[in-house]
Amino acid sequence: MKLPTMQDVPDHPQHLQTSGIFTPEVIEDIQVKAELGRYRIRGFGTLRERRWATFDDLTFIPCTLTRIPLEGYRERCSTKTTLGTRFAKKPVELDIPVMITGMSWGALSYHAKVALAKGAAMVGSSNTTGDGGMLMAERESSRTLVYEVLPSRYGIDVHHLKMADAIELTIGQGAKPGTGGLLLGSKVSDTIARQRDLPIGVDQRSPARHPDFLGPDDMIIKIEELREATEWKVPLFVKMGATRVFDDVKLAAKAGADVIVVDGMEGGTGASVDICQEHTGIPTLAAMCEARAALEDVKLYGEVQLIIAGGIRNGVDAAKAMALGADAVYIGTAALISLNCNKPLHVEDYRKLGTEPYHCHHCHTGRCPVGITTQDPELMKRLDIEEGAHRVANLLKAMTSEIQVLARACGKANVHDLEPEDLRALTLEASMVCGIPLAGTNRVFGGGPGWSERHAPPGER
Amino acid sequence: MVEIDGEGRTTREINSAVQEAVSHGADDIRVRNTGGRHNLGVAILRPVRLTLDGSVGYYCAGLSDGPSVEVSGSAGWGLAESMMNGMITVRGHAGNGAGAAMRGGIIVVHGDAAARAGVSMKGGTILIGGNCGYMAGFMAQKGVLVVCGDTGEAFADSMYEAACFVGGKIGELGNDAVIEKPSPDDLELLESLLSKHFGRKLKNLKARLRAFQKVVAGRKLWNFDKREWKTWKEAL
Repeated sequence: MKLPTMQDVPDHPQHLQTSGIFTPEVIEDIQVKAELGRYRIRGFGTLRERRWATFDDLTFIPCTLTRIPLEGYRERCSTKTTLGTRFAKKPVELDIPVMITGMSWGALSYHAKVALAKGAAMVGSSNTTGDGGMLMAERESSRTLVYEVLPSRYGIDVHHLKMADAIELTIGQGAKPGTGGLLLGSKVSDTIARQRDLPIGVDQRSPARHPDFLGPDDMIIKIEELREATEWKVPLFVKMGATRVFDDVKLAAKAGADVIVVDGMEGGTGASVDICQEHTGIPTLAAMCEARAALEDVKLYGEVQLIIAGGIRNGVDAAKAMALGADAVYIGTAALISLNCNKPLHVEDYRKLGTEPYHCHHCHTGRCPVGITTQDPELMKRLDIEEGAHRVANLLKAMTSEIQVLARACGKANVHDLEPEDLRALTLEASMVCGIPLAGTNRVFGGGPGWSERHAPPGER
Repeated sequence: MVEIDGEGRTTREINSAVQEAVSHGADDIRVRNTGGRHNLGVAILRPVRLTLDGSVGYYCAGLSDGPSVEVSGSAGWGLAESMMNGMITVRGHAGNGAGAAMRGGIIVVHGDAAARAGVSMKGGTILIGGNCGYMAGFMAQKGVLVVCGDTGEAFADSMYEAACFVGGKIGELGNDAVIEKPSPDDLELLESLLSKHFGRKLKNLKARLRAFQKVVAGRKLWNFDKREWKTWKEAL
């Protein structure tokens, strides 16, 4: 009898077997690094499927019989937002609680910066400078302009500082806390190089630390310097990437911040080390809850205003953040998407980058097909400033109206009156993070530091 | 001459008095009893003369554009940080990060400067009569840093287009820092700086000039390059 050989054994499986460890993405990542010899760099922010608690895990519980709603499309519901009431002589007064976050002229094109400024101004909101200093056209187009003082101090100019409506001392960014920015050589054009005092075409790695202070005690003096330079007129924001939020927020408040900006791990970036975007920082929802608890812990909640940032997509995310205690939200990526980021236009140029519309995260290349994250004059022209500004304004209006719809349904004549009691958690994890009862129960499972004592229903504390 | 007594006054009160004098056209202002206060003479935007009698704390003359400030004692961290233009003279020593992120003007420290003098500087000149601490010139982008004495470790680390000159011993060069022979133009610049600011103290200027070494960026960190792995593994 002839024994069967290996060739005779049928081996034509119906289904391909993929390794759960070495997935196609992991195999590609290893092979890309085997070519590069360094960490990978890209833009946009985390691309991971979110398996952590997010704003989507909360739901509003509007008025029924125990509470009376406002007429959703008619009755007044104020959206006025005031920031910087603690020490500044002239707090920032905005018509809406949705603001445009700092994105640098360098990461973004001139057209994008000016369109964002004009769009925000049209609806009485603010925009922020970014790593690379103030663009004059941006100042002239803004109603309220926040001037960022970053570790790199690129383009730092005392005259610009004095033109600002608020100052934001940036310690870190949610997408990449603990690291500085990156601007690859393709975007360091002669204009950008001149603005930043850098050689043309360098792969520029911004510092992660401020050059003239290190810890929270030195920051007290730094804040005093910025206030002295601006005669204590404008509010001083401190912005941080979300890591040890409960401690960091208290330190920033102690250092004398008027407003604290907490940027969660879902925040975007023009270019950063890929693994930092995916594996550092804590999610925006968790950061929000820790930040409020921290301010309550030092009895400064309400006196120090809170801005939350990091992956805010719409009025629902914003309304939930506000119900949890934010005074305002920052948007960045969402604002760029309103300028046509990832829209199926010039599809052939997305393909040249090895990507497709709706999937592009190639901000770092400087070859943005829709003229937003580029310094190429031809690509930049694809973004019409006036049309872009209208779309930014429309998005801000739409988000504001979404916040108002929810606030009115919850019986609030002011969007700032939204409160944790208006929310229920849809998952156990969200309940644990937020200290909000799981829907269908009146129990709080877990809760952040100092949180459940204050917000759990009576009898559950 | 406008005289302001710092005794019993807060930083805010002293700075307000200085700014008020500046706005009224005073061109010579003296603050007595500085008491080591932080943030004195911040954001002065006119070419006035300000004398600070005593020592000062952090960020003295920070964010300024144009003044001529003299500190008779020593200065704390971040002396004249982000200065656009002006001349800041410190008779004593300077703390960490003197001239951090400065964009123009000149800082003259007669004594020593601590760590990170000229960190992230974007222009202007820093002249240190004595020694400097570690990481002086770190990430300096443009401008000139002159150290007449010795430097600490990691000198001129990760620089762009700034130039450093050292009259004494270099403790250790930082990443991508390389020594170059000073050009005739460099020597002329050094001679004029030293004779102008330390003229009376310096003997044998010509002989001392010959000892100066120039340090610039090797430009190996300007662009990512896997072939330079030895350099990059420190810097990445």
